[in-house]
Amino acid sequence: MKIRAIHSIFTIVILNLFLSSCASDLDYNQVNDLRLEPVIISNFAYFDAQANEFVNGGVEQNVFFDAPTVDVFSENFFTDKLNKVDLFFEVNNTINRSYRVDLIFLDRNNQPVHFSNFFIPAYSGTENVVRKTEIFQNAALNLLKRTTKINFTLIMFPGPPLSESSVGSLKLRSGVTAYFVVE
Amino acid sequence: MKKTLLIFVLFLTVDSFSQNKQILYNFTSVPQSLLTNPGSDVKYNWYFGVPLLSGISTNVGSSGFSAYDLFADNGVDFNVKLRNVVFSTTRNDRIALNEQIELFNGGFKIAGEKGDSYISFGMYQEFDFMSYFPKDIAILALDGNRDYLGKVFNLGDLNLKAEMLSVFHLGFHKKVNEKLILGARGKIYSSIYNVNSTNNSGYIYTIPSSQGVYEQVIYSDLQLNTSGIANYDNQDYDPNVIKDITKRTFLGGNLGLGFDAGITYYPKKNIQLTASVIDLGFIKHTKEVESLTFKGTYRYEGVIPNFSFGNTAEDNYEEFKDAVPLDTLYTDYTTLRPTKFNTSIQFSFEEEVSEDCNCLNYDPETIYKSAIGAQLFVMSTPRTPLVAFTTYYRRKIFNSLQMKGTYTIDSYSYKNIGLGLSSMIGPVNFYVLADNLLEYRDITKANSLSFQVGLNVVFKDKKK
Repeated sequence: MKIRAIHSIFTIVILNLFLSSCASDLDYNQVNDLRLEPVIISNFAYFDAQANEFVNGGVEQNVFFDAPTVDVFSENFFTDKLNKVDLFFEVNNTINRSYRVDLIFLDRNNQPVHFSNFFIPAYSGTENVVRKTEIFQNAALNLLKRTTKINFTLIMFPGPPLSESSVGSLKLRSGVTAYFVVE
Repeated sequence: MKKTLLIFVLFLTVDSFSQNKQILYNFTSVPQSLLTNPGSDVKYNWYFGVPLLSGISTNVGSSGFSAYDLFADNGVDFNVKLRNVVFSTTRNDRIALNEQIELFNGGFKIAGEKGDSYISFGMYQEFDFMSYFPKDIAILALDGNRDYLGKVFNLGDLNLKAEMLSVFHLGFHKKVNEKLILGARGKIYSSIYNVNSTNNSGYIYTIPSSQGVYEQVIYSDLQLNTSGIANYDNQDYDPNVIKDITKRTFLGGNLGLGFDAGITYYPKKNIQLTASVIDLGFIKHTKEVESLTFKGTYRYEGVIPNFSFGNTAEDNYEEFKDAVPLDTLYTDYTTLRPTKFNTSIQFSFEEEVSEDCNCLNYDPETIYKSAIGAQLFVMSTPRTPLVAFTTYYRRKIFNSLQMKGTYTIDSYSYKNIGLGLSSMIGPVNFYVLADNLLEYRDITKANSLSFQVGLNVVFKDKKK
């Protein structure tokens, strides 16, 4: 008698647990809809050329050049998932001379894929800042992704002579905003 | 119904973490309660568990979100649900799974002049997985850093561990006098595999700067230790997973030692106090050890031309890889087992007057029909200990059917109601214990579920 009662109790409890329970519909395939759109900001380029660096042994140097490697675009993750790039440039000139700054983006064959030029007037005591934002999407972005080097050229235009004790600087700050889409 | 069963099967196969066995603890009609307190007040001549069926327990928990929150088929975009989950959870929320299956288990009494002693022994296989929710890393992946200028992303949010192991144990239990029972259990652990990344620190931040556009720094002190899986990464290795698991199960894995201790004390006939500490132990990982480290500091300033000297600046990405290298190490390491602490107080009532009453016996199950009590469970975790508080009602429905109902509050839930039934039909003991019963209304919305079932053969102590 008791055994039957115990059986009944177990049966009722267990069946109740399973039968009265339910589960909402779940759809694990939704994982396939995953779409991440992180926006990463970072430094892109920087230099701060002091006025006295344009003078070497009492003689003005009017052209400066360097072509550092840019290797982030060679990583597949960056190139595959990158959807849009904004490059922000700010050049602040506190030297009493005018300048041109050329940035030539080069691919692995040293072929130019993009130019950025800035003309910065001579400093006259007031704020002397040139700002520019370049937006890269689609075809322009595809060209940018091929960049392996950036050729920086500084050209100093004629003006009041500089000496090794001259003050001021030509400063470039550049930041990148990279829009990724990961699906 | 079909889906419910399917999810149950999934729970059973994925092998718990919270490991709080609040229904089993001190439910002495189930011999497995000795595994939660080696000093439990059990009464039997001898018992053995039906091999593979004596103790099956699974426990799954996710504080912060449920399967429904992420995967509900409700027309809401998955990415919206994912964002809601990421932003509603904290770095201390965790996902945990624990499974135990007893391969064999048994025990017998050694009668003594002053009081009986019991020997119990057995072997079980256990799987543990626990991961804290890596909140800051998830935010970086979802949103990036643009909208978080000044925020310090904490890389220490990455905190997880997984282990499969077998445990051989031998316990001794002694009734010191009518009021006091002491028990202890020694354990040998054989780790089948271990993945452990729990001592991480580091940060990434981006703040506006007057020099570059931003000051951007990554400091990383991340390490992932593994044992027992390095070979599967080796292309020349011909894997035989079943052979490997079998060998490591039977003491061929990375070995460790552990200790359980417990006490039951009756200050009065109807008041019972118990306490136990379980899995005070460690495993030394020396075989097939492989660790990955990602350690260093790097300040990213962008591309910097060097006009003065005509030298091209270093490649940034190469510079980063040199500053924060990904290294592989092959050094031994030690892991601590998650140590559990249980304690309880119980008041018994409804004294049962039976013809063959032996009133010297302090067993509340034979003298009292009902009991109420409270239990506290604490378990060590890589961060703050997990704490659960349970109140319960225990009732002898028949001589051969015991019931324990529990109400538990922990970090997963404040409405966890559990029920355990243990029957004795002849020498056969069958028990089923399940908690979070309210969640069965829709188990996809449950934050935690645990389920234990088992079959034993028990020959009762006839002395009483």
